[in-house]
Amino acid sequence: MSNFNIDSKKDRQYDAIVIGSGISGGWSAKELCDKGLKTLVLERGPDVKHVTDYPTTNLYPWEFEHRNELPYAVQQDNPIVNRCYAFHEDAAHFFVKDKEHPYVQQQPFDWIRGYQVGGKSLLWARQTQRWSDFDFEGPARDGFAVDWPIRYSDIQPWYDYVERFAGISGDRDGLPELPDGEFLPAYPLNIVEKYFKQQVERTYPGRKLIAARCAHLSEPEPIHIQQGRVKCQHRTLCQRGCPFGGYFSSNASTLPWAAKTGNMTLRPDSVVHSVLYDEQQGRAIGVKVVDRLTHQEIDFYAKIIFVNASALNTNLLLLNSTSNRFPNGLGNDSDTLGKYVAFHNYSARISAEHDGHLDYKTDGRNPAGGGYIPRFRNLHRQDSNFLRGYAAGFSAYRGMHADESGLGVALKDSVLNPQLVHWGVGSHMMGETIPKASNYVALDPSLQDEWGIPQLRISVEYDDNDAKMKQDYLDTMEEMFTAAGFTNIRRNESSQAPGLDIHEMGGVRMGRDPKTSMLNKWNQLHACPNVFITDGACMTSTATQNPSLTYMALSARAVDYAIREMKKKNI
Amino acid sequence: MNRRTALRQLFILAGGVWMATSCDPRPNSPSIELRNIDLTRSDEEFLGQLVDAIIPTTDSPGGRELNLHLFVMKMLDDCASPEQQQQFLEGLALAEQVKDKGEDKQRAYLNDLPKEDTFYSFLKRRALQGYKNSAYVMKNKLIYELVPGRYNGAVKISV
Repeated sequence: MSNFNIDSKKDRQYDAIVIGSGISGGWSAKELCDKGLKTLVLERGPDVKHVTDYPTTNLYPWEFEHRNELPYAVQQDNPIVNRCYAFHEDAAHFFVKDKEHPYVQQQPFDWIRGYQVGGKSLLWARQTQRWSDFDFEGPARDGFAVDWPIRYSDIQPWYDYVERFAGISGDRDGLPELPDGEFLPAYPLNIVEKYFKQQVERTYPGRKLIAARCAHLSEPEPIHIQQGRVKCQHRTLCQRGCPFGGYFSSNASTLPWAAKTGNMTLRPDSVVHSVLYDEQQGRAIGVKVVDRLTHQEIDFYAKIIFVNASALNTNLLLLNSTSNRFPNGLGNDSDTLGKYVAFHNYSARISAEHDGHLDYKTDGRNPAGGGYIPRFRNLHRQDSNFLRGYAAGFSAYRGMHADESGLGVALKDSVLNPQLVHWGVGSHMMGETIPKASNYVALDPSLQDEWGIPQLRISVEYDDNDAKMKQDYLDTMEEMFTAAGFTNIRRNESSQAPGLDIHEMGGVRMGRDPKTSMLNKWNQLHACPNVFITDGACMTSTATQNPSLTYMALSARAVDYAIREMKKKNI
Repeated sequence: MNRRTALRQLFILAGGVWMATSCDPRPNSPSIELRNIDLTRSDEEFLGQLVDAIIPTTDSPGGRELNLHLFVMKMLDDCASPEQQQQFLEGLALAEQVKDKGEDKQRAYLNDLPKEDTFYSFLKRRALQGYKNSAYVMKNKLIYELVPGRYNGAVKISV
């Protein structure tokens, strides 16, 4: 890499280092660069430039060699990632293959990863909901984990801030449990989704069904055009990377913005081995990188470090950053590092048929995916035999059917003339799980990866609360479906392992007390204040919302704080 | 030269997808490169007849013209388990009795096979998949829009 003079230490000195270029790292990078800091962004995988490096983005179905299926050998070689709903021929190149980056499953855990510039922000499902105080106050009210050191009022202006830039579509629904934001117009519910909304809200006071809020540009504003992004074109091929920048990703939005400031140096293929801690200065001074391709070790230096390596990799990195001061991992005075890992319980779905509204169909595709049912269980008070609750997706689609039983001309005619049939409806649960010390990650004592870094040992499992919640979701949704007149209701209890929700969180939790948490209310390590962790690792509890929007807001907020502290010479 | 143009010279259009041509010089080798299974040019010829029996030529192209037999071969080679490949090849050998016997006899033969027969179900499923996802059908019959640019969740239709 000719632009890196690695011989001179001066040339490896920056104001700030950001580890990771995914959804939170992109935000850290943008904010640091916007505020004038010379920032090195380290990404362990290869570069992915917006549009240029989306090789499948404009392919028609017939242009895929296997019509978007992955070959048998690829599926056999990748039992873990093959379980991910988006791992197909059109996007497989953006997923980590099982054998490339092995880890140890003490309990079954599907760790789905995207190692490239942009990380999983290229692949995410783009659903964005704010947390409310019903969520931030959850641990304190229900007596688990530790109290969050922040409340909604602390993060609300930062939700506003990131939403305006990212572009979030949604309705202002006026729900205290799911606060409204700075929304672009929502993608409206279709006619059967609206019907179900009316049925639910009439029959079950307190339960709501709203248009899903998502990071798509329904009506771009000047700030989005300035990013080079235009209106979402309803392709719903997002996992390939969007040539329109119709949905928010680091690649389309924050990283090019950061690059334009002239303050960002992006270094792909940089596997961060550890954060370097200086015992004399009592602070982190930089990071040790192993080049992905050459395996050469290079140290980079900075005044502040943002760790955005993705939830579990951030845990791994801190655990691997040992010193005399921190023999058990950077900042780990509390002995909580790696513990209290949690996720979202996605283990149940339900589907049915709807025989009404046969005089309607839909046209085009809905990038938001349909509707969203915010958590209603145990919301205002404990009202069931399990803690917390679940949100649920809900969508309806008009089915098409062609009789494919014959052969010859009849078959051909039938296939070319599919008929509209009944509507199909479906829902999936997104349940809060309770962080526990016994759900943890640790370094494997002997196994290492190709870059000399210990492999991660993951020990995370469902508990009795998750099982009761799943049962309640299925019973409750079945009842709601039945009340709405849906027929042929099919409950689907998936046996999917934790991890496949791709919402793993925690291990480096925020809290008020340094004795029981890793980070303070500014996402700053209690014991090493020039290191900030603003990805999923920081989460004290999981709530039921899709988490990325909260990581974005926490990242922008933490950068703002870090820079104020630097100006005061506190860090 | 455009890399894509150059590559296409070495590929055959099969139902719209480009496939690498075989480098095997033997006269009875199939026209596409197969890595996991052994099929001959005469097997390929016979599969061409069978996809025409399944999707015949009418006022629009049939299976063979759309190279659906090559798509079936490709999917058998890459996307089937070794067990499925074996069962398919056994089924294909048994079906040889209707080779060159005309579409009607071939359809009658296929119709008499049990629905769960691997040869029959794989052949038909993949031929239909290739057909419905072919450039011809997606451009002319069941139009696929790469860029819809819209969503209307309540389009009134007459029933």
